[in-house]
Amino acid sequence: MGEILIEKIENLKLNVLEMGELAVNMLKDAVLALKAQDINLAKEVIKKKEDIAKMDEQIEERALRMIALYHPVARDMRVIAAVLKMITYLARVGRYAKDIAKTAILMADEPHASKLVEIPYMSDKVVEMITDALNSFKKEDLSYLTNFSERDDEIDSLYYSIFRECLTYMMEDPKNITKCTHYIIVARYLERCGDHACKIAEKVHYMITGERIEIK
Amino acid sequence: MRYAIETRNLRISYGKKEVIMGVNFKIPEKVVFALMGPSGCGKSTLLRSFNRLLDLNKDANVSGQVLVFGRNIYSDNVDVMEIRRQVGMVFQYPNPFPHLSIYENIAIGLRLNKMVQTKEELDSRVKWALEKASLLEEVEDRLDDFPSSLSGGQKQRLVIARVLAMKPKILLLDEPTANVDPVGTKNIENLLFELKKEYTIVLVTHEPAQASRISDFVGFIYLGELVESGPTARIFENPQHELTDRYVRGILSIGDKNGRNTN
Repeated sequence: MGEILIEKIENLKLNVLEMGELAVNMLKDAVLALKAQDINLAKEVIKKKEDIAKMDEQIEERALRMIALYHPVARDMRVIAAVLKMITYLARVGRYAKDIAKTAILMADEPHASKLVEIPYMSDKVVEMITDALNSFKKEDLSYLTNFSERDDEIDSLYYSIFRECLTYMMEDPKNITKCTHYIIVARYLERCGDHACKIAEKVHYMITGERIEIK
Repeated sequence: MRYAIETRNLRISYGKKEVIMGVNFKIPEKVVFALMGPSGCGKSTLLRSFNRLLDLNKDANVSGQVLVFGRNIYSDNVDVMEIRRQVGMVFQYPNPFPHLSIYENIAIGLRLNKMVQTKEELDSRVKWALEKASLLEEVEDRLDDFPSSLSGGQKQRLVIARVLAMKPKILLLDEPTANVDPVGTKNIENLLFELKKEYTIVLVTHEPAQASRISDFVGFIYLGELVESGPTARIFENPQHELTDRYVRGILSIGDKNGRNTN
């Protein structure tokens, strides 16, 4: 019976990685759509929200069924426990991507207030963190998770820097207020995605070592 | 801290074949301690050494120490009968005396050991033991029947009552539910849960799920060695040894010694 469960768990892990890839791609595309003012790309991201929600539901159902049928313990139990939390965080990343894509549509008609460098840079950093957490999950290798706390601090700093920059634009010209509010909200979504990357990393750490840590 | 049972470098062999190879562990008082491991790894042998039942096997050699409440039961001046009264044993196959009534199954030990003086005392001790084993209600009106009328689970609880009547401090159980249906198993597990308030229980099981359900501490025995022991929740959530991890997950191949190639 143990071998059957192991095979099912390996498949479950592949499903989670697939979901992770989707979440990461949605986030990348949403930010690209925002920068390039590409409505079609933004619409594609919005459509994918349904796919990620479905994956969340399916993976949860399969994981719960494994608990009911195979009573997993030790490493098997830890993988399933990690998966059940990870899919929630990944679904939220997908939802933020959808929200950014909606903002991209709202902002597609008028030129940006600046060159929009910091938001894509921040997005790249967040994407790297999520990708590393997923690689750590895939390869069961803790080395991907080093410096996560510092990397999260960098994301927070980027958020404040965008926030302050937007305040300056808004004070210079009140016409910028709507645009800049959108930027701040997008930066806030990205900052939240960074937090979810940390939560995923915590669960992967538990899965590999059996010890719970908190990344602050 | 006083331990109910402690082993120090315990080695047991049958003739030239060593089956327990230097085992050290401590069992606290009033807990359920489960010894788990695959069949043939030495669990039952280890259990039998805790009340000197191995003395009955001429080939068995024991070295090292088994301390019961701090006293080495293998030292010279030990009264073996006294040890066995203190440390009772329940086997895998329910073995009530088939030719004695339910009542007599319990009474006989008390009479032989002259533990009671009067008929009233005997009656009350028999009922007390049946009550402790959660069996009284089910057999109260048929104490003179033979045990053949009982279910497997009831027979096993009768055997537990027979042991409890001797007022032991430690109960050893060797796969007590291996031949009992799920309802009987549940009743026995509930009983053990109750009994640990007053007794120290050492349970041998080859079923990790049973160890996880009812024990407070687990020792994993493999090929005559204690691989790992600790609080049950920790062993089942985060075992420290590769072999333990593979055993509880059901992927340990017999004869596997290094514990590598895990998934």
